[in-house]
Amino acid sequence: MPAIKLYANLRQLAGTKELSVTGSTVRAALSELVKMNPPLGEVIFENGKLRPQIVVTINGRHAVELDALLTERDVVAIFPPITGG
Amino acid sequence: MSGWSEKILEIDLSAKTYKTYPLDMEMARLFIGGRGLGMRLLWDLVGADVDPLAPENVLIFTVGPLTATGYQTSNRFSVTTKSPLTGTALDANSGGFWGMQFRKTGHDVMIVRGKSEKPVWIEIINDAVVFHDASELWGMRVFAVTEKLGQSAHKRNVLCIGPAGENLSRMAAIMNDRERALARGGTGAVMGSKNLKAIVVEGKGRPEIKDPERFKFLLYETRKLLAASPLTSQALPEFGTSVLMNIMNNIGALATRNHQQTQFEGAEAISGEELTEKYLVKNASCWACPIGCTRISRTEKIEGEGPEFESVWAFGAQCGIDDLPAIIEANALCNDLGLDTISAGSTIACAMEMSEKGYFDSDLRFGRADQLAPTLEAMAYRRGVGSDLADGSLRLATKCGRPELSMSVKGMEMPAYDPRGMQGQGLLYATSNRGGCHMRGNMVGPEVLGLPKLIDRFQVQGKSSFVILHQNSAAAIDSLVLCKFTNMGVADEYFARILSAVTGIQYDTGEMIRVGERVWNLERLFNLREGFARKDDTLPPRLLNDAPTEGPSKGWVSQLEPMLKEYYRGRGWDENGVPKPKKLEELGLANLGEINHD
Repeated sequence: MPAIKLYANLRQLAGTKELSVTGSTVRAALSELVKMNPPLGEVIFENGKLRPQIVVTINGRHAVELDALLTERDVVAIFPPITGG
Repeated sequence: MSGWSEKILEIDLSAKTYKTYPLDMEMARLFIGGRGLGMRLLWDLVGADVDPLAPENVLIFTVGPLTATGYQTSNRFSVTTKSPLTGTALDANSGGFWGMQFRKTGHDVMIVRGKSEKPVWIEIINDAVVFHDASELWGMRVFAVTEKLGQSAHKRNVLCIGPAGENLSRMAAIMNDRERALARGGTGAVMGSKNLKAIVVEGKGRPEIKDPERFKFLLYETRKLLAASPLTSQALPEFGTSVLMNIMNNIGALATRNHQQTQFEGAEAISGEELTEKYLVKNASCWACPIGCTRISRTEKIEGEGPEFESVWAFGAQCGIDDLPAIIEANALCNDLGLDTISAGSTIACAMEMSEKGYFDSDLRFGRADQLAPTLEAMAYRRGVGSDLADGSLRLATKCGRPELSMSVKGMEMPAYDPRGMQGQGLLYATSNRGGCHMRGNMVGPEVLGLPKLIDRFQVQGKSSFVILHQNSAAAIDSLVLCKFTNMGVADEYFARILSAVTGIQYDTGEMIRVGERVWNLERLFNLREGFARKDDTLPPRLLNDAPTEGPSKGWVSQLEPMLKEYYRGRGWDENGVPKPKKLEELGLANLGEINHD
């Protein structure tokens, strides 16, 4: 099953750093994540769309298309709005 | 009055005299303050024949018209000089309280020139300057000196150097109220070369604001904008700058073990999340800053400010070390010794690689957290191999016959972002006027974080226009002088509006960016006059030739050459990177005097 890794305050809201999902696309995986952890919903989505400044990667490459298909071994990482330097 | 204090304080350490004279207001209008004004003055004061550590080099401390007005983050100040690390134009800026306090003495600029025969410290109280014997302070570390000179956050503020500056380490910093730094390029060595241990300021003045009602309204609006932005209201205060560690590692752009890899297996252990969970005591803020990104951290041995992302990276991933307490303590030790953490960490990493490969005779090895503190001590006091490391990785690697193993640009060590995974960042490093630096503009926003909008980090064509925009914007903000984090919640347009309210001169966004472009071009002219050329706009060979063999950046090297050509065209420079006369005319830089166009 694809894995989802969470960072920064998403970890605190979900109570975990990583979990597995069954969704076959990024969109389905994120929906499943929110169902399991409802507090994440309003942090990640706004009116059904990914909030601006939320970064999602698949195996370290930016996910520009939420309908991208996931394989069993894919790792999806989700970062809330962050900055630094 | 005009929003500026309109006054320059000039101190001659050789003669132990000082004088004040009026600021050229046309110069102020064109360059504003901070980095811009400092650079314009440096152009006139320091020629190509001046060694950075000679008495003829100067330290130019500058604030801007916004400083100490109470506008959000109006606490910062700059120092401009010729860098002993790179030989380029150099400015470094810092927050905290000192800049606010200096502005309240009624000056925009302080030029320090000459060299004292014996160690000295300077006390500036409003208009008066007193020279004090610093014999007892010479040899003392930063924390002790700062305390002895009576630092008090809102009333009396202290800049000083530590042993690294006294011993002329070319990566020595000027430290600001203990734990902030004018960090990069060897500002502390210039101060040490002048036998100047500390500069203490106390001011009681209040800067004039031309349009107080408009100012108050913009202050209110800015407060709302910063509170509404998840970056300035949540991300920075909650997790600090180190929250970047995991994302940079995730995308395979975290320079590791002297840039031999682009991912670090110990990233999670040194991340902002780990720092927050286990070592954070509380947050702190600079003067007039509602963001509060400063971290106060505690280990079993120390408690103090920081560390910031770049410092954690330099002693962490770059040295292959995942021991966060040791990294926090190395950061604190650098503050006490007066060393730049990025150059210190990356130079140790360079020494580690060369030692492991037999090019440098030392026992330094990647992953050895126990070696950090003794190596930093040896660097600051120039003991043993530490003396070789004290002047930076390029001089060290060159001495060992392996200059290509220095991960630097123009002699300044690069920060954490590996250009093989961020093409724009590579161009930004290569063209940075002070060397390998992320504060001349940073592509992590558009290439990694989607700020303001995500662009393909591997894309080459068209990337230069983003880099130029970021460089110009950074130069403008550095000339105001404000914290770049403000820009995460407040658009450039606001900076123009607030500057107009304070000075009574109507700036628009376009003029603000033109100020940045003007500053950038003047820095370029200074470097050309020093003999820098197109060949210096480059990256270490490893980044141009050796692609990572695994991770999300696998197979990529920096595609610098096509980006550089496009960049020169976009800048209005010729194929050798020399600004064309038309561009200089457009920016008001055509009549500066002799410029080497060869």
